Amino acid sequence: MDRRSWMTFFAAILWLGGSVGVAAERLVVYTVNYPLQYFAQRIAGDHAEVVLPLPPDVDPAFWQPDAATIGGFQRADVILLNGAGYAKWVSRVSLPRRKLVDTSTGFSDSYIDTEGSVTHSHGREGDHSHAGRAFTTWLDFSQAAEQARAVRDALSRIMPAQRDTFASNFLTLERDLLDLDARLKAIVARDPARPLIASHPVYQYLARRYSLNLKSLMWEPDAMPPETEWQVLAELREGHPATWMLWEGDPAPEIDERLQQLGVQSTVFDPRGNRPVAGDFLSVMFNNLANMERVFNQDIDN
Amino acid sequence: MIDSFYIAWRYVAFNKIRTATLIACVTLIAILPLTLELLLTESEQQLLSRAESTPLLLGAKGSALDLVMNGLYFDDEIPELVSMAAVNELEDSGLAMPIPLYVRFNARRFPIVGTTLDYFDFRGLTMAQGRQLALLGEAVIGAEVADRLGIAAGDSLLSSPETVFDLAGVYPLKMPVVGVLKRSYTPDDLAVFVDVKTAWVVQGLVHGHEDLARSEDASVVIDRTDTNVVASARLVEYTEITDENIDSFHFHGEPEQYPLSAVVVVPNDDKSGTILRGRYQESEGLHQLVVPGTVVDGLLANIFRIKNVLDAVIFVVAIATVLALTLVFALSIRLRQREIGTVFRIGGSRLTIARLLIAEIAIIVSASALLCGVVMLAVNQYSGDLVRALFIR
Repeated sequence: MDRRSWMTFFAAILWLGGSVGVAAERLVVYTVNYPLQYFAQRIAGDHAEVVLPLPPDVDPAFWQPDAATIGGFQRADVILLNGAGYAKWVSRVSLPRRKLVDTSTGFSDSYIDTEGSVTHSHGREGDHSHAGRAFTTWLDFSQAAEQARAVRDALSRIMPAQRDTFASNFLTLERDLLDLDARLKAIVARDPARPLIASHPVYQYLARRYSLNLKSLMWEPDAMPPETEWQVLAELREGHPATWMLWEGDPAPEIDERLQQLGVQSTVFDPRGNRPVAGDFLSVMFNNLANMERVFNQDIDN
Repeated sequence: MIDSFYIAWRYVAFNKIRTATLIACVTLIAILPLTLELLLTESEQQLLSRAESTPLLLGAKGSALDLVMNGLYFDDEIPELVSMAAVNELEDSGLAMPIPLYVRFNARRFPIVGTTLDYFDFRGLTMAQGRQLALLGEAVIGAEVADRLGIAAGDSLLSSPETVFDLAGVYPLKMPVVGVLKRSYTPDDLAVFVDVKTAWVVQGLVHGHEDLARSEDASVVIDRTDTNVVASARLVEYTEITDENIDSFHFHGEPEQYPLSAVVVVPNDDKSGTILRGRYQESEGLHQLVVPGTVVDGLLANIFRIKNVLDAVIFVVAIATVLALTLVFALSIRLRQREIGTVFRIGGSRLTIARLLIAEIAIIVSASALLCGVVMLAVNQYSGDLVRALFIR
C-alpha cells in the first residue's frame, strides 16, 4: 500500500466511525400526526429518526394502533402529542408518561370546545359530558409555531449537546410558519366578512386566527350528502350567503357539480394530518394559501 | 474418656424418650431467639431495601405508614386518596418524575396495581414471558401470581368486586394477561399490574357502552333532548375491552380529578428532592411527601422494641428450662443410685461417675446443636419467602 492508499484507508475508517457515532446518537421520535413529524424533522435534522407509524390512507385523529405499533411508541426516546384531544387512542393505550410531550400545552387555555356535542347520563355518577374539542391546532400558524417551539424544547432536553442546532433549525421553521401566518392574514384582510362554508368542522382555529366568517357542515368529500344535508345547506345559505365551500380534499365531481348549480364553488384547504403523497407541510400549506387567494380575489374581481 | 462416652451413649440410646425430650427442650430454647433474630434481620433488609430504593412517596395527609405500606408493599389498607392533579403538579415543577399508583382493587386475592410504564423502568422489572402493557384493559402479572394461579400470557384474570353485597356496583373486568414479569423477590412478584386507566375502568370511572346518541332501545333511553340523553339502569357497560368496543371507552369527568392511592416521586437529583420536600413540608395543602426509608425505620424501631420484650421473655423461659434440666439431671442421678452403686462396686471412682454424667450432657447438647443447625439452615434458606409470607404479604 502506498501513502495515498493508507490515507484513504484511514479516512474511510474515520468516516465509518463517525457515521456509527452519529447513528448511535440519533434520537427516535414518534409523532401522532404529520405536522408534528414535519416540525420535528425540520428541527432535529439528521439527529433524529422521526417516525409517524401510520398507513397512508387513514386519518391520524381517528386511528387505533395495534399492540406492535404501540410497542414502537413505547421504545421511542420521545413521543410528540398534538394535545387538544387529538388522537383519542392515546388515552386508551399504555405509554411511558415521562416520554410524552404535549406540544399544545402552552396554549391549552385557548382550546376551542366544539358546539353540538351531546351529554349523556346514567349510573351513580349522573350526568357526564363528552363535549368535543377542536384539534386541528396547527391551522393557526402562530399556534403551529408554538407547537414547534415545544418540539425544540423537548429535543433540547433530551439531547442538550445539539441545543444550538435545534434552536437554529427552529428559527428557520418559525420564520416559515409566521410567513404563512402573515400571508393568510393579508389574504383574508381583503374581505374578512366574506361568508364561507366548511364541508367539515375542522377549521375552528383557522377561522379564529384569520377571522374567517365560516360556518360548518358535516360532509365528506367522497360521499354524496343525503337530501336532508342539501336542505341544511340551503337553510344555512339563507342567512349566510356563501359562494365558496372549503374541503379537506377534492370533492367528488357530482358533489362539485351540484354545488356549482347552487352557485357554490369548491376549494381545498387541506389540514394535512397524514403524510402528503407529494411535497411537504409547507408546500401543502402554500397550495392552501393559493386556493384562499383564489377565493378572496374572485370576489374582489366581482 | 472414650469409654465414658461409650457407656453414656448406650445409656441415652436406651432411654430414648427421656433423651428425645431433653434434646427437644435444649433445641427449642436455642432456636427461638436465633430464628427470631434471623427473620427480623431478613424483614429489616427487605423492608429497608424496598423503602430505600424509593426516594419519595406522595400521598394524602394522614398515616404515613399506611401510605408507605400501600405504595411500596401493596398492603390492603388503602390510604386517603389523592388525585391525578397531584401528579401534574409534580410534573409541572420540573423537579421530579412522578409515577402514579392506584392500589385498591384485587384480582383473585392479588392486588391490582394501576400505574404507568415508568414504574417498570424505575423498579427494573423486565418481562419473562409475553409483552408489556399496550392497550387499555390488559394486565401483566408478577412471577408468583403466575405460579400460584397457574396462568400465563394469553390467559385472562377477572377483577374482584370490592364488596360482595354491592349489587349495584361495577361489574368485574376481564383482563387479558399479556405478560409475566421476571421474578424480582419483591412485592412486585405478587401483583397484577395494569395501566392506571385500567384501574379506573375497574372502578367504573372509565367505561364503555353502546352509543346512546344512536341507541333506539326505548328500555335503555329514558329521555332524549338535543343536548342530552338519559339512560336507564338497563344500559349494560362492557366487562371486557376488545378491539371492537375499545373506541367506546370514555372518561367520566375530568381525568385530572381521578383518584390515586400514592405517587412515587423520583427527583432529578438530591437538590430537587430537598426543594420538593421543603415545599410540601411548608405547604398547608392536602398532600404529604414522605421519605419511605424514614417511615420504615420508624416501623422497624417499633418492631425491635417488641423484639426486646420477646428477648426478655425468651431469656426467662431459658432460665426456667435450664433449671428444669438441672432438676431432671439431679432427679435422674437420684433414680440411678443403684447404677452408681454398681459402678463404685466394680472399682469406679467419683471422677468416673462425673465423667459419665458430663459425657451424657455433652451428647445431648451436641445432638441439640446439630438439630438446631439443620433447622437454622432451613430457616435461612427460606427466610426471604417466610418474611414475605408472614410480614410483608
